[in-house]
Amino acid sequence: MDDRNDHGSESSGSGSHTGQSQSGTRTRIGLDVGTSKVVAARGDNVSPTTDSQLNAFFDVPYSALHEQGLKANRTPFYREDDRLIVYGDASEKFAHIFNANVRRPMAKGILNPSEPQATHVLETVLSTLVPVSRNPGELLAFSVPAAAPETGHELTYHEETIKRYLKGRGYTPLAVNEGLAVVLAELAKEGFTGIGISCGGGMCNVAISYLSIPSLTMSLAHGGDFIDASVGAVVNEPATRVKAIKEETLDLTREGGDKIDKALHIYYDKLIESLVEELGKAVQKTPRLPRNDQPMPIVLAGGTSKPHGFRDRFEKALRRRSWPFQIGEVRMASDPLTATARGALVAALAER
Amino acid sequence: MTAAARGTPTERYRRERPPVSRECGEELTRITDDIDDPVVKLRYLQSALNEEGDKSALVQLVPIAPARRAWYRLKGLRALDAVADADEEIAERTLAARQTARRVVVGASAAAMLFIPVLVAIVAWQVNRWRSDPERVASVGSSTEANATAIETTTAPLVVPQSTSLTTPPPAAEGPVNQAPVAEPLAAEDMGIVPSMIWLADRGPGWELYSNGLRIETAYTVKGTARDYRVQTRDGTLLPTRFNHPMGILFHTSESDLWPLEPGYESEVRKGSEALLRFVKREQAYNYVIDRFGRVYRIVDDDSRANHAGHGVWARGNEVYLDLNSAFLGVSFESRWEGGRTLPITRAQLIAGRNLTHYLRQRFAIAPEMCVTHGLASVSPKRGLIGYHLDWARGFPFEAFGLPDLYAQPLPSVALFGFNYDSEFLRTMGERWPGLIAAERQLADEARERAISLDQLRYERQANYRRWRAALPTPTAAESGLETPASQTADKRG
Ligand SMILES: Nc1ncnc2c1ncn2[C@@H]1O[C@H](COP(=O)(O)OP(=O)(O)O)[C@@H](O)[C@H]1O
Ligand SMILES: [Mg+2]
Ligand SMILES: [Zn+2]
Repeated sequence: MDDRNDHGSESSGSGSHTGQSQSGTRTRIGLDVGTSKVVAARGDNVSPTTDSQLNAFFDVPYSALHEQGLKANRTPFYREDDRLIVYGDASEKFAHIFNANVRRPMAKGILNPSEPQATHVLETVLSTLVPVSRNPGELLAFSVPAAAPETGHELTYHEETIKRYLKGRGYTPLAVNEGLAVVLAELAKEGFTGIGISCGGGMCNVAISYLSIPSLTMSLAHGGDFIDASVGAVVNEPATRVKAIKEETLDLTREGGDKIDKALHIYYDKLIESLVEELGKAVQKTPRLPRNDQPMPIVLAGGTSKPHGFRDRFEKALRRRSWPFQIGEVRMASDPLTATARGALVAALAER
Repeated sequence: MTAAARGTPTERYRRERPPVSRECGEELTRITDDIDDPVVKLRYLQSALNEEGDKSALVQLVPIAPARRAWYRLKGLRALDAVADADEEIAERTLAARQTARRVVVGASAAAMLFIPVLVAIVAWQVNRWRSDPERVASVGSSTEANATAIETTTAPLVVPQSTSLTTPPPAAEGPVNQAPVAEPLAAEDMGIVPSMIWLADRGPGWELYSNGLRIETAYTVKGTARDYRVQTRDGTLLPTRFNHPMGILFHTSESDLWPLEPGYESEVRKGSEALLRFVKREQAYNYVIDRFGRVYRIVDDDSRANHAGHGVWARGNEVYLDLNSAFLGVSFESRWEGGRTLPITRAQLIAGRNLTHYLRQRFAIAPEMCVTHGLASVSPKRGLIGYHLDWARGFPFEAFGLPDLYAQPLPSVALFGFNYDSEFLRTMGERWPGLIAAERQLADEARERAISLDQLRYERQANYRRWRAALPTPTAAESGLETPASQTADKRG
């Protein structure tokens, strides 16, 4: 049975002799719990399916009319005492109808300590993506930000809250650093060696990984929200409007004409600068850098990395500094919005 | 092992840790470069870098057979070097083996270097366990003895299997195990009294004992689809007779995972063989499997066809066989065909295999020219090439089995049906064997006689092959999927 034509069967089929079975891993989940969006990935790692839900809500005083309106629109909501709470994707769409502001259960990557509804809303949002497990103890890997100096205790609380919820739904939760998740999703060919960067709404996360082991993780408590708020403040526009413009029209390769566009460029640069700066400091401080002659590939992910030209600007900023390792290719994740969830899924599937 | 049982796995993907050394990292990178599946790759890396307790898991986890083998090899090489250092004569006589091993090891020695310290610990631990549990080893001997009865009577030189030749048992072990691993011919027939008949001499639950010393383990035996096949003649006529007994034997190697054959690996070796037997039973892949201790297992019963041959061509006299699963018994040696000239089976396997062959030949009146190897018969119809499977494409000890050297006989697939080979085949095989050269010469002569091009002739013959195969009642095409059982870790190059 010596076959010279079945290239590739070795890695794909090596299981049966050692009794490792891939079956039953279909219900594993990779979860990206982001400040502005929760993304779930499931299935196999070759073609995972992903779903997302806006991690946001708004509430309006209870009235029969409001309730009817929501029901008529099949908008997900729940009632809490005298308030109606609309959550998830629908919240952004309907907020203005009700003349309400969208709120977030999370801020800067973790549960918002000054938002009383936070835990309940987050759990409700999660419930739309994570069904009760039919397979008790099923693995679920979820992303967590790197601890920032200002978020030590709160990060623990955030993480434990999520874990407890997931266990309650029948899963074995496995925490994966968000930057590392990007590495797991995008740098398999490179042996999971490289730098994963996820720029989201509330924060940016970076992990330097050597063979899938995180040797340095850091985060910056700024992200897309910071840009929206800062631009809004200087041009005197609501942040939500800035956000919409940013997401629809921003092109960082072209210096645009109007005030908002100029301001967006400025604050994007500022975000990139401070991220590179902070990463530089962290790299200086750590005794744990991989000693590796190979250039380190860098992958960018997250909604904030999406505008055209972000990659170029980031690479320029990066190469302006000197690093104790070679900077390799700087590239965008294959799908920046789902990279974290897909990477978490790879981690979940790799468990035995 | 469940995730929960392994300490705090929840920290693994988030807690900063110092990276592994550059050397270790480079070796790991080299090993994992060949793993395409991200999940498998990650699983391997994580186990290699995180696992603390169960270290023996490491090697098994390497999902690439060559790397695993390299590890064993290097390990074996070291053991051999250690012995050679102590004895000049041994050093001299193992020189060739050690050089060969070194050459093979270079590329993928990665895993080995990485785990050598771990290995030492495993071996120590296992040896201890073995000392405190001697029955387990003793039980292995029971059926081996039966099949090894011929050992005492033969004066033939010892055939050293490659896997063991690179490793050396503790110096105290009896017997010369230090010869270079070349396939030396065993005498065709043994000395001593050889009964003219082979009969079932005794039987018990799970075993049968034959008068020639052959012991067959029957605990894994299953019934498959009954043989029911027809045979063609060289002019393409489909003979009317429906046959339901085997007419030949096709020899294979299992291409399964092999642990070093030496003390300290008892449980791994046993588990490896059991996994193979279960696999063969589930897939009905062979009629017989012979493990490295010479135990003969009947898996698919003699009257049923096993899925061992895939597409193949064989011929004897005027008869042409295209449905080899039906016409041939599949006999597989637990081993890997390494592509080389060394004999990849143990002496115990050789003796057991020979006894089994004698028995089967007698029972089913199998002609000697119908005892052939998979590598000689296998073809890829789609590509029109020989050598789709290469096990025993050379090196089968026909003479030691009392069989004619079929490597010298014109290869039927080429002579009859114009099958060809590509450069990859030549690279693997190194050279053409005499039977292949002879078959090509036949083709060339005929083309010259008929004043057509060789290509034209091959084309005609290939069309014949397709037509004949289509005429067969058993749709052999349906078997194509069975050519490469996905879960067999196939060794492409050997
Ligand atoms: N096309 C786009 N261009 C610019 N920014 C975008 C785009 N799409 C999303 N964003 C921004 O990305 C952030 C959300 O990214 P995401 O990765 O989902 O964040 P989080 O991980 O915090 O949930 C928001 O600030 C959003 O405005
Ligand atoms: Mg995110
Ligand atoms: Zn075979």
